[in-house]
Amino acid sequence: MPSFNIQAFLNEFIYDQKNPLLFNNGFFVFFFTLFIIIYYLFRDKIVTRKYIFCFFSLYFFYKASGSFVLLVIASAIIDFWISRAIFQIRNVTGKFILLLSSIAFNLGMLVFFKYTNFFIQLTNELTSSNFQLLNILLPVGISFYTFENLSYTIDIYRGHLKPARKFSDYLLFLSFFPKLVMGPIVRAQDFLPQINRKIIFSKSDFAYGYYLIISGLFKKLIISDFLTLNYVDIIFDDPTRYTGLENLFAVYGYALVIYFDFSGYSDMAIGIARWLGFHIPDNFLSPYQSENISEFWKRWHISLSSWLKNYLYIPMGGNKKGTFFTYIFGVVFFVFVFITSTQLLHLTYKMAIMLLVILLLFFLLPSLIKKDKKLIPTGFNLLATMVLGGFWHGASWNFIIWGSLHGIGLVVHKAFLVIMEKNNTIVRNYWLIHILKVVFTFHFVCFCWIFFKAENFSLAIDMIYQIIYDFNLAVIVLFVKKYKYVLGMVFFAYFLLSVSKKTHTKFILNFTRFPLICHIAIFFLFIFLYGFFKSSEPILPIYLKF
Amino acid sequence: MKRSNDIIIFVVGSFLLYFIFSLICIFSEVNFPAIARINLLKDIIQNDTRSINFEHNQNDQGLIPVKIKGVSSKDISLYLRPNLITNFNTDTSKVVLENIVKKLDDLKNNKSTKIRIAFFGDSMIEGDLITQTFRKLLQDKFGGQGVGFVPIMCPSDKFRSTAIVKISNGWQVENFQSSLTSKNLFISGYLFKGQNEWVEIVDHTITDTQINIQKNLFYGYANFPSKVKVNTENINIPAKEVFGKILLNNQRSGGIKISTIDNKLPIYGISFESQSGVFVDNFSYRGISGVELNMIDTALIKMLVLKNSYDLIILQYGVNVLFKPDGKNFNWYAKLLKPVIQKLKNSFGKADILIVSTADRAFRYDGTYKSAVGIDSLVKVQAGIAYENGVAFYNQFATMGGENSMVSWVNSTPKLANKDHIHPNPSGAKILAENFFNAFIKDFNKHPFLSSRQQ
Repeated sequence: MPSFNIQAFLNEFIYDQKNPLLFNNGFFVFFFTLFIIIYYLFRDKIVTRKYIFCFFSLYFFYKASGSFVLLVIASAIIDFWISRAIFQIRNVTGKFILLLSSIAFNLGMLVFFKYTNFFIQLTNELTSSNFQLLNILLPVGISFYTFENLSYTIDIYRGHLKPARKFSDYLLFLSFFPKLVMGPIVRAQDFLPQINRKIIFSKSDFAYGYYLIISGLFKKLIISDFLTLNYVDIIFDDPTRYTGLENLFAVYGYALVIYFDFSGYSDMAIGIARWLGFHIPDNFLSPYQSENISEFWKRWHISLSSWLKNYLYIPMGGNKKGTFFTYIFGVVFFVFVFITSTQLLHLTYKMAIMLLVILLLFFLLPSLIKKDKKLIPTGFNLLATMVLGGFWHGASWNFIIWGSLHGIGLVVHKAFLVIMEKNNTIVRNYWLIHILKVVFTFHFVCFCWIFFKAENFSLAIDMIYQIIYDFNLAVIVLFVKKYKYVLGMVFFAYFLLSVSKKTHTKFILNFTRFPLICHIAIFFLFIFLYGFFKSSEPILPIYLKF
Repeated sequence: MKRSNDIIIFVVGSFLLYFIFSLICIFSEVNFPAIARINLLKDIIQNDTRSINFEHNQNDQGLIPVKIKGVSSKDISLYLRPNLITNFNTDTSKVVLENIVKKLDDLKNNKSTKIRIAFFGDSMIEGDLITQTFRKLLQDKFGGQGVGFVPIMCPSDKFRSTAIVKISNGWQVENFQSSLTSKNLFISGYLFKGQNEWVEIVDHTITDTQINIQKNLFYGYANFPSKVKVNTENINIPAKEVFGKILLNNQRSGGIKISTIDNKLPIYGISFESQSGVFVDNFSYRGISGVELNMIDTALIKMLVLKNSYDLIILQYGVNVLFKPDGKNFNWYAKLLKPVIQKLKNSFGKADILIVSTADRAFRYDGTYKSAVGIDSLVKVQAGIAYENGVAFYNQFATMGGENSMVSWVNSTPKLANKDHIHPNPSGAKILAENFFNAFIKDFNKHPFLSSRQQ
């Protein structure tokens, strides 16, 4: 006879490190239903509604990361008051000192939790010292809310934004649970005005939110988790045991995994926010359909790339000028490339210098062609932004390499555009050329993903080595036989990726016309499908680690 | 904009339906794993009468495919013991691997002799995993320098750190999987031919640079005499017998480069050994179960024993036998492996033979990785074959930690095994090798001469 386990029931309310709260936990179903009932009851009482939202958001965060919830509250208090002071005092130096203190606090917190051990390891390696690594856990979502804090303070300093009137407004902005754990990174100027307004829920809010939530769940739980668990993780773990063909498919598979995982979670966050009366901009716009790498970064993790552009690239000088940091960074980067190519890639000094000269040429080309010195720093600013953006993803050399590759990609693309412009070359956009450009860009992105996913540099190199030197097409029949379900999923996922924006919009429009009962039926169909695919080990979303 | 209550109706309605559905499933006899997994109440309402987990059935007698003849001095259940090399004798104080232990004892007493161990296995030992640690520990204790036999090429070459192999691109390869396999396939499962092809092998295990290392070429029968070139010197190869071994050089360096002249001569590889000591030859072949060794010509093995004798044959197989998650019956494997053991026993002469059981391998059952349901049964079959054929047995599965040890190795920090839940990584392989070495030394220490000397 089934029995109710009171202890297990009570434990459900407490943070469990092994099973943090995510949108796909059973507990979330209870949490969300209860929340939405109370939220709807008080939807017209703006202040009460706000407090309810804050309470549930902080509880969600507690269930996702335990006592680190205190860190969110503390950083909300500090940034709220510093920003208010920045706004109120007239003294320019005073404003600047306050801004620096906010930056120091936020970046200090991020660096402490995320990078301390990386720097200890680096010091140990460089000086042969033996400092013990610290036992530091990474607070969930810290990379996201730190950036939100920074954008808020900087916007107020720049005079682009008035501070939140109430602390509760700011706390809700920071802890808003749909985006708290994995973004998107929301800007205060978009979000704050939405807190205290009257909410009217329309039919299209429901349908649009519903579509995003279900498709997000499908992307994350069905496609991404299936490929991660059954293929991608296994190959990336020890690439040398597998042929180049298997490795290549692991890279293609990972490109799908990271996109469906991350964009799926973003979709869920945006969809849930919509159901609660908040509009959050798109975070992904079919990035793998990009024709070039610059376009890719306008369509991939848009909230991060626009943050980096506004608060890093432009302050460094953007495409107009260079700052002291630009040139220091340029020198450090070239030294880094030289060391990497001689020590890790074992190039001779001659070859390494040749590589540096070629790289430098790409950085200088736009200014040489256009005869404009001001263009020189652009490339370095771009590169610095991408390298730091890479490092934001995690404390490892592989993320720095990943960021550098994208930075170089962007610089090369810019140089290429200038050459084309100079020669008045107009490439007509035939469909074949379009496809070739998309395929090329996709493969460049995939190549970079190898460094993003592999646990360390040598595993990434092993993987590339296997793909080039041990491709072994002879195993294809066996490969198809062995991985038929994985391949089926890969092709299905690529089919979804190839759907055009027009078809997609049309599909959503038709979807919104379905009666409510159909939505309920589809929801249950999804649940059964999930039951079929579900693994009882929760696979944490990839971006939770950042 | 028109106000709509769709959101709240949908959430509350779906929740109620989902909740009721979960309750019904809990209280009814519905027992589909896919439905049980998505039950909202599964964590707080427990139902003892149902279990969606696969259970291991250790006492399923019907699954024993090998008939065990009871002998009073023997006890089959000894196979269950971890860290023990056993011949199932109830008196466990006696040496099991008598031949090699006696010779090792001689070696330890400064008698100049060569002791060779042929370590056969699948991908578990690829890249010299397990064997590299075992070899090093043995050589540290008993002496000897050299990596032993290295094939001309092997899928794991690029990642083997104990021997660096560089080759030209035109070598032709025959192996266990070739459609037309030559009769003279070597015990490594490979054979190489090529005209004007070259191979360069550097032994990276050598710690004493003052010692001379004999580099011997292993080759097979050819219709005509042939030659290979070492540096600028041509060496004549008679190639008249089914197996041949010729000294290429005996210098201090641990590296050698040879080139072929014609593509008639079947070449197997080069061995690196000092004048005296103990040597472990790694014969890895990925994806096999060990029954493939039956394809090796008995005459070739006999000739090999004459020219390059072995004192211990170790067989480390099993993970590829466990290819089906639900496989529990390994009668087929027992039937195929038995003649292989007979053949090895007959052709390797005095050498001791030791079957090392499969290590743990896990599959995903209902979403959770667990040890293969058939693993106990397979270990039992491997032990049964050892018992029946009078060869020694070592339980790698139990030594590794038994049930679900693979899962804990994959999840441990630092990691000890790969996420495929099959292969221990280099750190894990080192632990397996150290445990095996300790069991081996335990057996060595039982030697009566040793104890008399110690007294």
